[in-house]
Amino acid sequence: MSAIAAPALAAADDAPRTAQLGMWVFLGTEVLFFGGLFVAYAVGRAHWPHGFAVASRHTDVVLGTVNTAVLLTSSAIVAFAVACADHPAQRRWTALALWATAALGVVFLAIKGVEYAHEWSEHLFPLADFALTEPGAELFWVLYFVMTILHSVHLLIGIVGVAAFARATGAGKSWPTPGRVDTMALYWHFVDIVWIVLYPLLYLVERHA
Amino acid sequence: MSSVSDVIVRPPSAPAPAPSPSYLEDGHTLRSWLTTHDHKRIAILYAISITVFFFIGGLAATIIRLELATPAGDLVSHDTYNKLFTAHGVIMVWLFLIPSIPSVFGNFLIPLMIGAKDLAFPRLNLLSWYLYVAGGAIVLAALALGGVDTGWTFYAPYATMFSNSWVALTLVGVFVVGFSSILTGLNFIVTVHTLRAPGLGWFKLPLFVWAHYATAIILVLATPVLAITTLLVVAERLLQIGVFDPAHGGDPLLFQHLFWFYSHPAVYIMVLPAMGVVSEIVPCFARKRIFGYRFMAYAILGIASIGFLVWGHHMFVSGQSLAASLVFSLLSFLVAVPSAIKVFNWTATLYKGSIRFDAPMLYALGFVGLFTIGGLTGLFVASLALDVHLTDTYFVVAHFHYIMVGGSVMAYFGALHFWWPKATGRMYPELWGRIAAVLIFVGFNLTFFPQFLLGLRGMPRRYHAYPPEFHQLHMASSMGAVVLALGYLLPLVYFAYSLRATCRTSANPFGALGLEWQTRSPPPTHNFDRPPTVPEHVYDYATPTKAEPARTPAAQATSP
Amino acid sequence: MKQTTLREHARVVVIAWAVLLALMLTSLGSAYLDLGAGNVVAGLVIAFVKSAIVLWLFMRLRKSSATVRIVAATALATLLILLALSGVDYATRTSEPAAFQSPRQAPSFVGGKPATQQTR
Repeated sequence: MSAIAAPALAAADDAPRTAQLGMWVFLGTEVLFFGGLFVAYAVGRAHWPHGFAVASRHTDVVLGTVNTAVLLTSSAIVAFAVACADHPAQRRWTALALWATAALGVVFLAIKGVEYAHEWSEHLFPLADFALTEPGAELFWVLYFVMTILHSVHLLIGIVGVAAFARATGAGKSWPTPGRVDTMALYWHFVDIVWIVLYPLLYLVERHA
Repeated sequence: MSSVSDVIVRPPSAPAPAPSPSYLEDGHTLRSWLTTHDHKRIAILYAISITVFFFIGGLAATIIRLELATPAGDLVSHDTYNKLFTAHGVIMVWLFLIPSIPSVFGNFLIPLMIGAKDLAFPRLNLLSWYLYVAGGAIVLAALALGGVDTGWTFYAPYATMFSNSWVALTLVGVFVVGFSSILTGLNFIVTVHTLRAPGLGWFKLPLFVWAHYATAIILVLATPVLAITTLLVVAERLLQIGVFDPAHGGDPLLFQHLFWFYSHPAVYIMVLPAMGVVSEIVPCFARKRIFGYRFMAYAILGIASIGFLVWGHHMFVSGQSLAASLVFSLLSFLVAVPSAIKVFNWTATLYKGSIRFDAPMLYALGFVGLFTIGGLTGLFVASLALDVHLTDTYFVVAHFHYIMVGGSVMAYFGALHFWWPKATGRMYPELWGRIAAVLIFVGFNLTFFPQFLLGLRGMPRRYHAYPPEFHQLHMASSMGAVVLALGYLLPLVYFAYSLRATCRTSANPFGALGLEWQTRSPPPTHNFDRPPTVPEHVYDYATPTKAEPARTPAAQATSP
Repeated sequence: MKQTTLREHARVVVIAWAVLLALMLTSLGSAYLDLGAGNVVAGLVIAFVKSAIVLWLFMRLRKSSATVRIVAATALATLLILLALSGVDYATRTSEPAAFQSPRQAPSFVGGKPATQQTR
C-alpha cells in the first residue's frame, strides 16, 4: 500500500489559484459565446463585402476610436490596481485605480449611448425604416447591435464588480484579497479584448473612399 | 437478511463508528437541503429533479408510441404530435441526459474519488442546480402554454419565422439550463486540477474521473455556442433581425452550423460519463484490472477532441457543400476509432475475468453491446451515399436511441445500482434489480431494433401517420415500449423499498476499489473520517489481499 | 524591494498602454489606405497583437501556470475550429440570390430587390 494520504487541502487554502483557474475557464466559455457572433460576422462579410463596407462607413469612427482608447486605458489602470493590490500599504492607490477603471467603463457606455442615439436618428437600426439599401448592409447593422449590446452588458457587469471591489478596498474590508482583485481584473481585460477585436471589424471595414 | 455480514466485511483494525453524522442526517429541514453546499446533497437534489423530467419525457414517448401503434394518425392531431416529439427531445436531451450522470454521479463521486471534501466551488454547484430547475420550469411552462412544434433541433427558418408555438420561451429555458451545464463543467475542471489528494497523479485517477473531466471540457466549450444560438433565434423571432433569413442577407445553414457545433459534442457529453461508469463497474464485477488503462484515458480525450470536428455530418443533405460534407464524413469515421478502442478494452477486461452478473454488471454489459450497435450504425449514417437514403428516417432515430438509451440510460441505471449502497447505506433487492435490467434490455431491443428496419424501408421520422406496410414493425416497437416502460418503473418501487432500515448495508458491499468505497455508506458530510489511502494502481482487482471480500450476504438479499 | 517591484510593474503597464494606443492608431490609419484584402488582414493582425499584449502582460499569462495557458489556447483553438470547418462549407458553396421573397420579407429591402452578390 502507498503512504497514507493527507486529506486534500480545502479550497480556502489555495483559493487564489482555484479562483484564478475558475475565471480563466469561465473566460474560455465567453470566447465561445462571443465566438458564435464572430462566425456570423465572418459569414456575412464573406457574402456581402460591399454591403459591409458601405454599412461600416456609417459607424462613428471618431467615437469608436475614442471608446477603444478609453477601454485600453481602463485595462492599463486595472492592471496597475492589481499590482498595487499586492502591496497593502498602497491600498488607497488600489481603490483609486479601481474607481478610475469603473469610471472609464461608465464613460465607454455613455459614449456608446451617444452613438446609438445618432444611429437611431439616422435610421440605422435594423427596423422597417432601415436607411441603407445595399444588400448585406442591414445584416452588418444587425450584427453591430447584437455584438455591441452583448459587449455592453458584459461591461456593465464588470463595472458593477470593479466598483464593488473599489468600495470594499477603500473601506479597508478584507475580502478583496490580491487574488480576488486579480480575478476581477481578468474579467475586465477579457471585456477589453472583445472590444479590441470588435473595433476593426465594426469601424474599420473600408474607410478609404 | 443477515446482519452478520457487516461484521465480516469491516477491516479488523477499524474503530467504532465515527460520531459525525452522515450527510443525509446532517440537517433534516427542507431549508438545510435547499441551501446546502454539500456536493452529495446537491447530487440528490439533481437526482430527484431529473427523475421527474425523465418520466415527463417518457410520458411524451408513451403517447408517441401509442399513436404509432396504428398507421392512421388517429390518437392526436399532427400539430399535437409535432409538439409531443419536440417535448420528448427537448426534455430528454437537455433536462435529462445532459445533466444525468455528470450532475448526479459526477457531483456525488468526484470529490470522493479524488479524496477531497467537496468540489472547488460548492456555491456555484448549488447555483447550477437552481439554474437547472429554473430552466426546466420555463420549459415546462412553455409546454403547458401549448408547447413547441419545431422538433428539438429548432431549425431556421421554421423556428425563427413560421412556427406559431412557444419557441422563444422554450429557448429561454434551454439558455438557462445551458448555464447550469457550464457551471458544472467549470466546477469539475477546476476540482480535478486543484483538489486531488496528494499522491493522486493523473494516471492514478479512476476512468470515471477522466471521463467527467473530458465531459466538463466539452460542456464549457460547446454549450456557450448553443447559448448564443438560442439568443439569436429568440432575437430573430421577436425582432425579425434576419441573421438566418436569406431575405435579410442571412443564411439558414448558419443556424445549423452553430446548433450542431454544440449538439454533436453534446452527444459526447451524454456518452462519455456513461463510459466512465462502465469502466468502474466492469473491473469490479470481473475482478480484474481494466485492460489498457492509459489507452482508455487517451481514448476519452480523443473522443472529446475529435467530437468537435464532426458536426457537419448532421447536415449532409441540408445544402452544405460537397467538399465540406466529405471532410466531415472522413472525420466522423475517425471519431469511431477511440470509441472502438474502449469497447475492445472492456471486452479484454472481461476475458478470463471472474464475472458476477449482478445488476450493475448487467447494465454495464448491456451498455457495451448496445453502444457497439449504436456506434456501428453511426458509421452507416456517416457514409455520404448511405446517409442520403437514411437521413430523417427511423434508421437515424434507432441509431441515436441505441447510444443514448441503450448506452447512456443503461449506464445511468448501472450507476444507480452500483452506487446506491454508497449514497444511501441501503442495498436494493438484487433479484428485482436483475429483473429490471433484463426487462429494460429486452424492452429496449424490442422497441428500437424494428426501427432500424423501418428506416431502411423508408419510414420517415417525425411522422404520426404512415402507410400500412410499416404497421407490423411499428406495432412491435410499441409493444417493446410497454416492456421498456415496465423496466423503468420497477426500480422506482424497489429503490423506494430499499430505503427501509432493514436494508442497511456495509461500506463496500461489492468489494470495489476506489477511494469512495473507503468511507462509510452513506458518507459523512466531509466525506472521510480518516484520510483515504491512495493505492498503487487504481484498478488493482487482481491482487486478492488488496480487495475486500468479493461477496457479502447482505448484497444477495432477494426477497422484497 | 517591494517598492521597486511596484514601480517595475507600473513601468510595464505604462509601456504596454502606449504600445496599445499606438497600435490602435496604426489600425485606424491602415483602414484609410486602399490595401484591398490587406485591410482586413491588417485589422485582424493588429487586433491579435493588441490582444496578445493584454493577455501576456496585463492578464499575466506569462507568469501563469501551464494549465491556465492551455485553457486559453484550447478556447481559442475551439473557436478557430468552428470558423475553419464552417469556412470549408462557405468557401466551397456558391450562394444564389433568393429567387422568391415573401411579402413579409420584402420591405426590409427598401429597393425591393433581392441580393445580387455571390460569394468569392
